Amino acid sequence: MVLLTYLLLSGLTTGSLYALIALGIVVVNKATAVINFAHGELFMFSGFVAWMLHVQWGVPYLPSLLAAVAFGFLLGAMTDLIAFRPLKNANIISLVLATIGIAFMLRGLARVVWGGKGDYLPFPPITSPEPLMIGDIMVIPQQLAVLAGAIVIMVLFAAFFRLTRAGKMMQATADNAKAATLTGMRVDRIYMLSFGTGAAIAGAAAALMAPLTLLYPDMGFAFFIKGFAAAVLGGLTSLPGAVLGGILIGVIEALAGGYLHSSFIEVSAFIVIMFVLVVRPTGLLGFTGVRRV
Amino acid sequence: MTLKQSLKIGVASLFMAVAVLQPGQAQVPGVTRDSIKIGSFGALTGPGYLYGKLPMNGIEVVFDQVNAAGGINGRKLELVREDDRCDPAAAIGGVKKLIHEDKVFAIIGGGCSNATFAARETLIEAKTPVIIMASVHDGITTPVSPTIFSVALTSTIESQAQLQFALDQGAKRIAVISMRDAWGRARYTPLIEAFQKKGIKPVLDEEMAPDANDATAQVLRLKAANADAVLILLYPKPAAIFMRDAQKLGFKPLAIGQSGIADPAAFEDQVGSPGATASFRTISMVRYTPEDPAVDSWRKAIEAKFPGDRLSVFNLFGIGSAEVMVEGLKRAGPDLTQEKLVAALNSLKDFQTAVYPGGITCVEADHRCNKNPAWIAKEPGKPVRVLGITKVE
Repeated sequence: MVLLTYLLLSGLTTGSLYALIALGIVVVNKATAVINFAHGELFMFSGFVAWMLHVQWGVPYLPSLLAAVAFGFLLGAMTDLIAFRPLKNANIISLVLATIGIAFMLRGLARVVWGGKGDYLPFPPITSPEPLMIGDIMVIPQQLAVLAGAIVIMVLFAAFFRLTRAGKMMQATADNAKAATLTGMRVDRIYMLSFGTGAAIAGAAAALMAPLTLLYPDMGFAFFIKGFAAAVLGGLTSLPGAVLGGILIGVIEALAGGYLHSSFIEVSAFIVIMFVLVVRPTGLLGFTGVRRV
Repeated sequence: MTLKQSLKIGVASLFMAVAVLQPGQAQVPGVTRDSIKIGSFGALTGPGYLYGKLPMNGIEVVFDQVNAAGGINGRKLELVREDDRCDPAAAIGGVKKLIHEDKVFAIIGGGCSNATFAARETLIEAKTPVIIMASVHDGITTPVSPTIFSVALTSTIESQAQLQFALDQGAKRIAVISMRDAWGRARYTPLIEAFQKKGIKPVLDEEMAPDANDATAQVLRLKAANADAVLILLYPKPAAIFMRDAQKLGFKPLAIGQSGIADPAAFEDQVGSPGATASFRTISMVRYTPEDPAVDSWRKAIEAKFPGDRLSVFNLFGIGSAEVMVEGLKRAGPDLTQEKLVAALNSLKDFQTAVYPGGITCVEADHRCNKNPAWIAKEPGKPVRVLGITKVE
């Protein structure tokens, strides 16, 4: 029981970070029908911005996190301007290649700016690194803080998406871009907002994740793969699906590692994904593009 | 032509013939009456420069000292460097250039294991005597090649030493956490064989991916198994994640690393969580830390020759390997040939250098000449210190 509690908390924490990354991927995909392959690098870059502010310049953690979010938004908007807008009428392969190009560029830039300061950069714990005992259960304050932070970000995003004018315009564009254009919406701006919002969520995930792991310029792809897997599991068109997919992957990895063997950590989630996609190709909460007329 | 002229030409021809044929050295690559050309290959650029450029700098300061003292049998030592960038193809190309264009007499080199391993066949074909200075891959020295010697520890020796150290420290429940890529397997397989030879089994045998970002499951399993020592076959990054998570979950075993995590001070910085590496021990190929007063003279020599550099443990790798080469050249005598150098290196028995933890012993059947890893550790707030030496049989 004690082991199960540890594993569930760890899985939920990691899964909530996967969920945030997946949310960013889905936001962009819903609006533009493009998978942003630079998403992992946007995540990485924002993490380094948080590190630079908090560790190098001594800025408190919360403002550093907010700055990472803002910087993520800017980077996402720039990705739209450089890689999506000029090519939006090109074929999908050109769009994918453009985002891959952005990914390589950001990775190279990070190596120049933050490489050579040691192989991997640590981010200090945001709470005490020592565990707390509550009865027989060991609780790790660091994980609780990250989990709480991820939940707050998800709630804020849901509120933004459902309650604000910008969020509603993003929904409308995602549902039908042509109709949105006909109603007078400036769809290009909505696309930019989608790229920016997706990257801002990735920035929040990076700043939350940094104290749990280490930062290095090549880290983006590994996290992108996990986030992408979560998005596919949940359904690439479903925002709640992205959250569900991320949490499921985090929990499956933790339970497989704890109860089976650590060699199952990396493959367990993908086995489940393969099974789910065979049974339900659109993912757990995804849907096909059937429209009622 | 008069008889006198004929005699002059005849005598001159005779002298020329003698000059060409008599000194065997003229036909020995890289050796002249007053110099011996030694080649070196390793990364001079890129992140692998630690294992290439820095040992080569160490070699140069040894050569400078030897040359200042008159050289070896009147011949000055000259080092020719080739940059392999840790790239296998570049290592093969660099070695070919050293042998066929620069015509070096012998080589001290080999930084990154994959690059050195790729160059092995080229080195064997050329029959140029080689001393490996930093590469640890077993395949470089096993099976034995007559001309390739290594003063670097090999991965098998390190794995055996890890287990021996754990037992020497009184560990009863020893566990393993390893990567299972090519690097990890090169250490994992001999480690498991070492367990079998001792008639014991690891209490738990865990895996971790090189790019893993969480080790909670592994730490929890190890903690549940009550492991009192963990042998770590991981790169620094996953090892740092493991140590952070171990601290978070209150798991404090004796953590035993290997030369992949050769700098405990840098590792402490990478882990970045105060106290998390307090029980971490790791292997060093040399018996001194760069701060040790015993290496003051080397520090001064490095700083004088390479302004801006600070003495590094990787400089010491080069210093030790150069000392072994110098001893081999001395033993090979004034009529230098590559065969004589190989024979001289094979005759080294418990040869003491200024830096290696134990004596260097090479025999024809085993060219892994350094089997004495030193153990180093860094307690929080204190400098790195040497704990002791394990002799691997």
